[in-house]
Amino acid sequence: MKTGRLYVFLLLASFSFHPALAQVKEAPAFIKVSGEVKTPLQLTLADLTKMKAATATLKDRDGVNHQYTGVAVQDILDKAGVTTGKELRGENLAKYLLVRCADGYEVAFSLAELDSAFTDRTVILAHEIEGKPLAAGKGPFRLVVPGEKKPARSCMQVVEFVVRFGKE
Amino acid sequence: MKRSIVYTGCLIFMVVCLSAMSGNRQTARPLKPDYPSYFGNRINIPADNPLTEEGVQLGRLLFYETKLSANNGISCAHCHQQKRAFTDGLAFSTGVDGTLTARNSMSLANLLWVRNFFWDGRAQGLEAQAQTPLTDAHEMGQSLAASAQKLQKTKSYPPLFNKAFGTTVITGDHILKALAQFERTLISANSKYDQYLRGAYQPTAAELNGINLFFTNPNPAANVRGAACGHCHGGPKTFSELFHNNGLDSVPKDEGRAAITGQSIDKGRFRVATLRNIALTAPYMHDGRFTTLEAVVDHYNEHVQQSPTLSVFLQKNQGGMSGSQLGLTASEKKDLIAFLHLLTDTSFITDKRFSNPFINN
Repeated sequence: MKTGRLYVFLLLASFSFHPALAQVKEAPAFIKVSGEVKTPLQLTLADLTKMKAATATLKDRDGVNHQYTGVAVQDILDKAGVTTGKELRGENLAKYLLVRCADGYEVAFSLAELDSAFTDRTVILAHEIEGKPLAAGKGPFRLVVPGEKKPARSCMQVVEFVVRFGKE
Repeated sequence: MKRSIVYTGCLIFMVVCLSAMSGNRQTARPLKPDYPSYFGNRINIPADNPLTEEGVQLGRLLFYETKLSANNGISCAHCHQQKRAFTDGLAFSTGVDGTLTARNSMSLANLLWVRNFFWDGRAQGLEAQAQTPLTDAHEMGQSLAASAQKLQKTKSYPPLFNKAFGTTVITGDHILKALAQFERTLISANSKYDQYLRGAYQPTAAELNGINLFFTNPNPAANVRGAACGHCHGGPKTFSELFHNNGLDSVPKDEGRAAITGQSIDKGRFRVATLRNIALTAPYMHDGRFTTLEAVVDHYNEHVQQSPTLSVFLQKNQGGMSGSQLGLTASEKKDLIAFLHLLTDTSFITDKRFSNPFINN
C-alpha cells in the first residue's frame, strides 16, 4: 500500500517536473525600450503592474468594444527618460516611436501622438482584456490605440519600443 | 646642386607614394542598386561596406569559389544554384562532412530589403549571415582565416581584393564584405507580375483572379472571397520580414525563433519567405516538407494545425470562408497558383551578372 502511494507520488512528481523543467529555459516575457532614451529598459509584466494603471477601449475585428488595461505608453517612455511633456518641443518633435512586435511587424507614432500635452487620447500597452490576461497569440502585451478606424496600429505581441529621430 | 637633386628625388618619391595610396582608395567605383520604386527604399547597406563594381565582381567570384570550403569541393552556389533561383531543390543540403543541414536552403532574391537573416532571423546583415555557412562544420567547414590564407596564395585574388578594398592583404572580413555586396545585387524585379505592375503584361483571367485572392482578406458576411496571403507576404515584394508559426505541426519539432529570443511566444516561428520565384524553389517550408505549390496551398486551406503559438492570422477567429478553414475551391486554388507562377523571373535566373564566372557560357 505504502509502495503504491510512493509510485503515485513519483508519477505525479515526474509530471509536475516536466513543465517546471521546460520553464527553466524560458525568460519571462518582457518589452525593451531603447534608442533616444536616457535609460534603456527591459520591463516584465511584474514591472508594468507596479506602474500606474491605465485603461482604453478598442473595437476589435469582432466589431465589439473591449476594455483593455495596461500602462500609458507615455508613462513607459517617461520611465526611460524620453523627451515627453514639457521636453517635447523643438527638435524633439521630429522624434518617433517605432513599436516592434514578436513577428517583426512594426508601426510608427510621432511622439506628439502619444503625449498628454498634445492629445487627450491615451495609447496604452495593455496586458489585460476585461480583467483577464490577453489571449495567446495576442499577448502578453498589446498596444491599444483608441479612436482609429482600423486596428492596424493596435499591434499584438509587442516586444520592443524604439525611439528615434526622423532623419532624411 | 646635388642636394637639390636629392630633395627633388624625395619629393617625387613622396608624390608617387601618396598618389598610389589615394589611387587604391579611389579604384573601387560606387555601384547604385537598380530596383523599381514600388519596392521602396528601406534597403540595408552598412556604412562600412558600400556597394562597388569591384566589390560585387569579387563577391561573385567568391560565391562560386570552392576554395572557401574545407574539401575544396563546394561553394555557396552548391546550395544556392541560379537556375533554381538560388536554392538546391533539396529538403536539406549536404555539407563537407557529409551531414545534412538542419533546415532548407533559402532562395536568394531581394536580400537588400532583409534585415534579419536565416529561417529564424538570427543574423543581422548579410556579412554576419555569410559567416555561418562558410565556417559551420556541417556546411563549408573552413575558418575565415584559412579561407583568407588559401586565397592569399593564389595569383588572381590579391589584386582583386586590392581593387575592391585597397589592400592585397586578404582578410575574412573582406571575404564576407565582398560576398554580401554580390548578394545585395541579386534583385529579382522582372517577373511577369512586375511587367503587369509596369503595364507591360496583361494577366489571364485566372491569373487576375489569383492576384485578387492573394491580396484580399476574406469577408463571408460581404461575400468577399480571399486567401489573405498578402497579409504576411505583403506588397509587390511579397515580403515584409515577418516571422510566424504557420501551423505545420501542433507540437513543433524545431523551436524556430524561440531558440534565438528565449521567448515562449516564438516557438515554431519561422521566416515568412519571399514568394519571388517560388515556383522554382521547391521543396517548401523550413524543413522542405512540401514538394509542390499545390501541397502548400492545401496546407493553408485545410491543414493548419492549432497550437499555442499558431499565428493569430491563421487561427479560427480570423473568419475564413468555410468555418475554421480558408475554404478555397479547387478552381480558386488553381488561380492562386497561377499567380504564384507569375512571380517567376526568368531573366533573373539567366542573368550573366549572377552566373558562375568560372564557366564560359
